[in-house]
Amino acid sequence: MTTGNGSIADFITRNRIWRSIFRQGYPDNDENRAKAIVNSWFLHIHPVKVKVHSLKLTYTWGLGIISFVLFLILIVTGAWLMFFYVPSVQSAYTDVQNLETAVTFGALMRSLHRWSAHLMVVVVFLHMCRVFFTGAYKHPREFNWVIGVLLWVVTMVLSFTGYLLPWDQLSYWAVTVSTNIVGSFPLIGEPLRRLLLGAAEAGQPALVRFYALHIIVLPAIMVILIGIHFWRIRKDGGLSSPAEASENGNDKQ
Amino acid sequence: MTNNNVPVQEIFPRDPSRTYGLMELVKGTSPMVDKGPEDTVMSWPNLLVLELLAALGTTVVLLLWSAFVKAPLRELANPNVTENPAKAAWYFLSLQELLLHMHPVLAGLVMPGLVIVLLMAIPYIDRSKKDVGKWFASKKGRKIAFWSGVYTFACLIGLVLFDEFIRVRSIVSQPEAVPGWIIPVFVNAGLILLLYRAIRRWRPSRREVLVGLFTAFTVTYFTLTIVGVFFRGLGMHLVWPWDLPPGALPF
Repeated sequence: MTTGNGSIADFITRNRIWRSIFRQGYPDNDENRAKAIVNSWFLHIHPVKVKVHSLKLTYTWGLGIISFVLFLILIVTGAWLMFFYVPSVQSAYTDVQNLETAVTFGALMRSLHRWSAHLMVVVVFLHMCRVFFTGAYKHPREFNWVIGVLLWVVTMVLSFTGYLLPWDQLSYWAVTVSTNIVGSFPLIGEPLRRLLLGAAEAGQPALVRFYALHIIVLPAIMVILIGIHFWRIRKDGGLSSPAEASENGNDKQ
Repeated sequence: MTNNNVPVQEIFPRDPSRTYGLMELVKGTSPMVDKGPEDTVMSWPNLLVLELLAALGTTVVLLLWSAFVKAPLRELANPNVTENPAKAAWYFLSLQELLLHMHPVLAGLVMPGLVIVLLMAIPYIDRSKKDVGKWFASKKGRKIAFWSGVYTFACLIGLVLFDEFIRVRSIVSQPEAVPGWIIPVFVNAGLILLLYRAIRRWRPSRREVLVGLFTAFTVTYFTLTIVGVFFRGLGMHLVWPWDLPPGALPF
């Protein structure tokens, strides 16, 4: 504490409280930059060093990180919306109306949630296209591509289950149309439709089921899949790059 | 300093000023061979700054978007008043479009199921690593992607218009399996096979074949979604976007 240059920044990053939380000083040298990553619960999923190529905007277009940011925005705004919404046929619609008219920032938060959800479906799909067209699915990343396809499907199902919750004409008929498709499948179709709706038609049981799926079951699945997806990026050697192509130029693995 | 007779300083001088000299070049293999010093950079701050910018940018764009465009809210759900057209969420409208042209099991189960399974199978079909990280694999791949996209788009528009104005069911409607299953399966399989044969004429690698087929999938998803969102009006019949009935947009 006595060896610093005496500046305020120095005072902040060298006292016992700061050091108990962050362990290292401000990351202005490579050792501390490395420690800032490995000592942080939030950042330790990152490697200490990344390939320069991975940072090229025209390679990734940042689509993966944007998908994740959208997911975070959806969790925050979604949890906030839950304070004002009860999944009941009697009150769901008026709850949403109140959000629009009576709750402070209600309309903004609901719009944020809605548009983030739409945008996430788009961005996740574009991310999948990016990964395909750059050949980033190839060995050793085969399985992470599979997880990615599942994440795309879960994203759409999550968005779809949220669609019913406002209980307006748009949501009611969209869900009726979609579950009727399920109902037309041979043998399992009708039982599956009834399992989704909890009744012969969309009503109170369907609303509660979609709500539970939307706020806990599917987000939990999503979090686990995202966790595996990120973890596999590290285990599979970071983002793909053309440098790997020469390492193994033929069909052998 | 220790209590020994030999001062530590004589063996390990405490003077921090040191000099280095290049003694010898050694040839050999190590994990760093072929990896120049510029190959990697520290994640802090290079990666984290970009991540922060992506997060801030996304948030700002969404805040502005949400401040100016409100999320839709229609009238209270009423099972007795059917919406016309009754549309699914926009990302399912490509499936709903298929539903207009074939048996629901084929449109709602077989087709999407097959697409998802085939998507997952891609890395197990194309195992070569010779063009990792190259957009569209090669110049040839780019060409294949472009022409596959044009072909798919033209086919889809043709099929949608044909089934709207001439209608398969007005030519054959009995038995149900013919317009519901046999014609759609043969038309789709035939068109895909034709595309495959055309791609093969470029003498492509496996990846380039897949580039052509994946492009066909994305163009299909895109085209049918656009048709479903902007060109389907009352009774899901084709209309121009400016003639859509009020409330036909599914968002």
